Amino acid sequence: MLLHRDEIPPGTLYLLILKTLARAGEMHGYEIADSIQKISDDVLQVEEGSLYPALQRMLIKGWVKAKWGTTAGNRRARYYQLTAAGRKQLETELSQFERVIGAITRVLQTA
Amino acid sequence: MDWLRELGRRLCMLIRRRQFDADLEEEMRLHLELREEDQMRIGLTPEDARYAALRRFGNETLLKEESYMAWGWEWLESFFQDTAYGSRAMLRSPALTIVALLSLALGIGANTAIFSLLDAVMLRTLPVKDPAQLILLGKGNASGITDDFARTQLYSYPFYRRMRAENQVFSDTAAMFSMTNDVHGYVEGRAESEPMNVQLVSGTYFGTLGVRALVGRTLNDADDNSEGDHPVAVISYAWWKRSLARDPNVLNRTLKLGATTYNIVGVAPPEFFGIKVGEAPDMWVPLSMIKQVPPNFGGYKDNFSESLLIMARLKPGISITEATANVNLLFRQILISFAGTRLDQENRQKLDKTKVPLTPMATGLSSLRRQFSEPLQILMAVVALVLLIACANIANLLLARSTARARELAVRQALGARRSRLIRQLITESLLLALAGGALGVALASVANRLLLRMVSGGLDPIPLDVSINTRLLLFTIAVTIATALIFGTVPAFRATRLQLTDTLKAGRGSQGASGKNPLAKALVISQVAFSLVLMVGAGLFLRSLVNLNNVDIGFNKENVLRLEIDSSSAGYKAEEPRAVALYQQIEERVSALPNVKAASFSAFTFHEGTWDSGVALPGTKTNEHVDVNHNVVGAGYLETMQIPLLVGRNFSSSDTSTSRPVVIISEHTAKTLFPMGNPIGRHYSLGGDKPEDDVTVIGVVKDVKFQDLAEEPMSLDYMPYSQRPWDYGDFEVRYTGDFASVAAAVQQTIHSIDRNLPITRVTTLDEQVARSFTNQRLVAQLSAFFGLLAVFLSCIGIYGVMSYVVTRRTNEIGIRMALGAGRPKMLWMVLREILILVSVGVVIGVPATLAGDRLVSNMLFGLKPTDPVTLVAATALLLIVAAIAGYLPARRASLVDPMVALRYE
Repeated sequence: MLLHRDEIPPGTLYLLILKTLARAGEMHGYEIADSIQKISDDVLQVEEGSLYPALQRMLIKGWVKAKWGTTAGNRRARYYQLTAAGRKQLETELSQFERVIGAITRVLQTA
Repeated sequence: MDWLRELGRRLCMLIRRRQFDADLEEEMRLHLELREEDQMRIGLTPEDARYAALRRFGNETLLKEESYMAWGWEWLESFFQDTAYGSRAMLRSPALTIVALLSLALGIGANTAIFSLLDAVMLRTLPVKDPAQLILLGKGNASGITDDFARTQLYSYPFYRRMRAENQVFSDTAAMFSMTNDVHGYVEGRAESEPMNVQLVSGTYFGTLGVRALVGRTLNDADDNSEGDHPVAVISYAWWKRSLARDPNVLNRTLKLGATTYNIVGVAPPEFFGIKVGEAPDMWVPLSMIKQVPPNFGGYKDNFSESLLIMARLKPGISITEATANVNLLFRQILISFAGTRLDQENRQKLDKTKVPLTPMATGLSSLRRQFSEPLQILMAVVALVLLIACANIANLLLARSTARARELAVRQALGARRSRLIRQLITESLLLALAGGALGVALASVANRLLLRMVSGGLDPIPLDVSINTRLLLFTIAVTIATALIFGTVPAFRATRLQLTDTLKAGRGSQGASGKNPLAKALVISQVAFSLVLMVGAGLFLRSLVNLNNVDIGFNKENVLRLEIDSSSAGYKAEEPRAVALYQQIEERVSALPNVKAASFSAFTFHEGTWDSGVALPGTKTNEHVDVNHNVVGAGYLETMQIPLLVGRNFSSSDTSTSRPVVIISEHTAKTLFPMGNPIGRHYSLGGDKPEDDVTVIGVVKDVKFQDLAEEPMSLDYMPYSQRPWDYGDFEVRYTGDFASVAAAVQQTIHSIDRNLPITRVTTLDEQVARSFTNQRLVAQLSAFFGLLAVFLSCIGIYGVMSYVVTRRTNEIGIRMALGAGRPKMLWMVLREILILVSVGVVIGVPATLAGDRLVSNMLFGLKPTDPVTLVAATALLLIVAAIAGYLPARRASLVDPMVALRYE
């Protein structure tokens, strides 16, 4: 299967990461990518590496914070965690997303 | 506040750049390993698993770069890269860098230094509260005492009082004496007197200006409300530091000025120097003490002793127009109502015609400004031109270098570097060069502006002006520097990156043809030559004016005359007392008897020292037919000391005393004006007053002399003896032979042997005194000559650089020509001809520019026209010769080309 970053709707990567972190509390990069894929039944496939620039942008915005920890396999990993600002951002993005999806659905149903 | 926290995070990342890279690297590696393990678990071979992991991850390098770029610091990084690269490039060609840096340092330094002076003299606002609200009655270009009716420059103290009380437009009004009193006073407990520059001011002076005391208090209206009984002084910070060593106990100390002891009540703040730029009084004393402070002017209650400047602060919301209307209304009312006003027809007409202008005084008053604003503007233009020439030079050097770097830039562009990125790099390099030059320039300026101030001060104590480097000056310099970099850096940068890539890559090192000619470089040289011509001709005109000024027939012999000033009033002598006259006579006699002294005399004025003038009247004429005459009160030996030839009649003698008939010697011009017919000897006229001594009899006529400045037309002058007309001295002149220093020492010793307490100041020669009257012309002449030469020198470097480059590029062509039989002289001439063509084109462009530019400076010229052909021809010839010399070296190199070597080089 060929993977392409266009496969997830543009702009939703932040939303997916925020939501994933909100659910799990604390995750490292690989876990986030894996989790998104598993939960979406392998429908949503991110180009895994593009997570990292996105995470950096979220760090700058202050939506997430990172600290180093140890994995179950006893390896060093950087864990990401939502901040208060991140949670607020998640709500904003969610409501915006729902509004757009709702609108699209309505258009499709009328047709 | 969010953006601030965000900035904090970004900065944090910038500091931990290395950590950032390591973290990202480790994080990504972990991701890949975990994915790899995952893939192996579902049955892939280790190799396939790794590829799958890498495939799913994407381009790692790109992603790392993207992660880094997210933080928005890449511009800084490329800036550092460019800077490092630029410094290396500069160090690789040290000769070029040194030439560029030196010319930039000189250019920027000169601009900064001249601007610092221009700023201090013309632009800076007074360090007082809201200076824009301050206005002055009149134009502020007069000082002295007059009794003329309805003057708008100077006012009497009672006028100030009435104006302050009756106006409706000023929040406060203040007055100051139009001159400072040069007193020699005593700090309590000290035996030696010291010079003290006293400014008499109204009690409202500090309040109107909004200046608060640093220590103690300033003056207030109560200090000034009754005559003679408020002996208080506010001292300047500079004087507190200089004379009292910043004594914290200053408020308990006293000063003795003349016969009165003054309490120091306060110290003014450090930045406050009064309201006259270029003058800094040591202390301020209330006008109520005007009769007590030597030389005891007086006039506190005199409606017609007009000697004050009046300034005021506009009420908020009042415009200058409204204020002018109110002031003029009051001016009329006050003058008409003054007791003693003579309201004859003439005075009424005068009053009807007179209008008081209000002058904004945000930048203070300054006689310095009148004298130097034009020279400083000229010099500012001159140094700006020099900087432009330096810029053209550096642009040329950079052009030559970027041509050498053409391949490097072409390769980089071929590899995908954006043009904008390369231009940015080249401009960063230029900026770096300019900033280094600017820093050197500021260092240079901090030395140069002290030198400039000395030149402006004309050999006396430095004028108290703050020309040190300040924020405003640095901003100016930075602006100039950046503008410079853009001027000399942009064109080469754009040219260097505009390439036909394939051509450049193919052509290789020996790229020929089009680049051998270099129209841009030549255009730059031509403009340098044109600018240099403008500067050279300007310098020539100023220098020749200076020579003309030096050769003016001044009417007296200024060589071998010592002059000094004594302060008789501070030492307690009063002009009217016989003992003052006795003192003067004794000094004149004893000094005249010294060896190497031929004659000695006191005088009220010598040259360029102000004047006492009045309208004089022949018996039976009306006032409006009066002739204005400048009076000089002198000793009996004055004509002999100054060597002013007596044409007819007799000199003063010991028989002209206070009891004998008042006599006068007049100048030729006065004689022609007052007595056009017949012999003036024995005729008499009135000095304007009605006292018996105001009627004087002419006993002699002398040759005309220059009195105020060298450019003046002959003036009406007369001379009266101090034995008949009391005067506080003052100037003392000694005609001597031999060594100045030993005569000066002997003269001072003799004066002190007569009165040990007589202060002596400003010991110099008459020649220097005369020279000081054209300090501004000398400043312009010397500096423009210096900068003119500098410009020519820079242009020569430009010519040399471009021609060397051209010759190197054309070595081949020259080799072929010589192989085909062209002789060496022909090659020499070929190159020289090109230089001469360049210079000639520059001259052709420069001449009209010169003629247009020099018309602007005609005010500063003396004895010649701005279109003076001699100067123009001389400057052109000099420029051609110097250019030919600069071009000779590359031309010679061309003629020495060995055809075999040149051809093999290909």
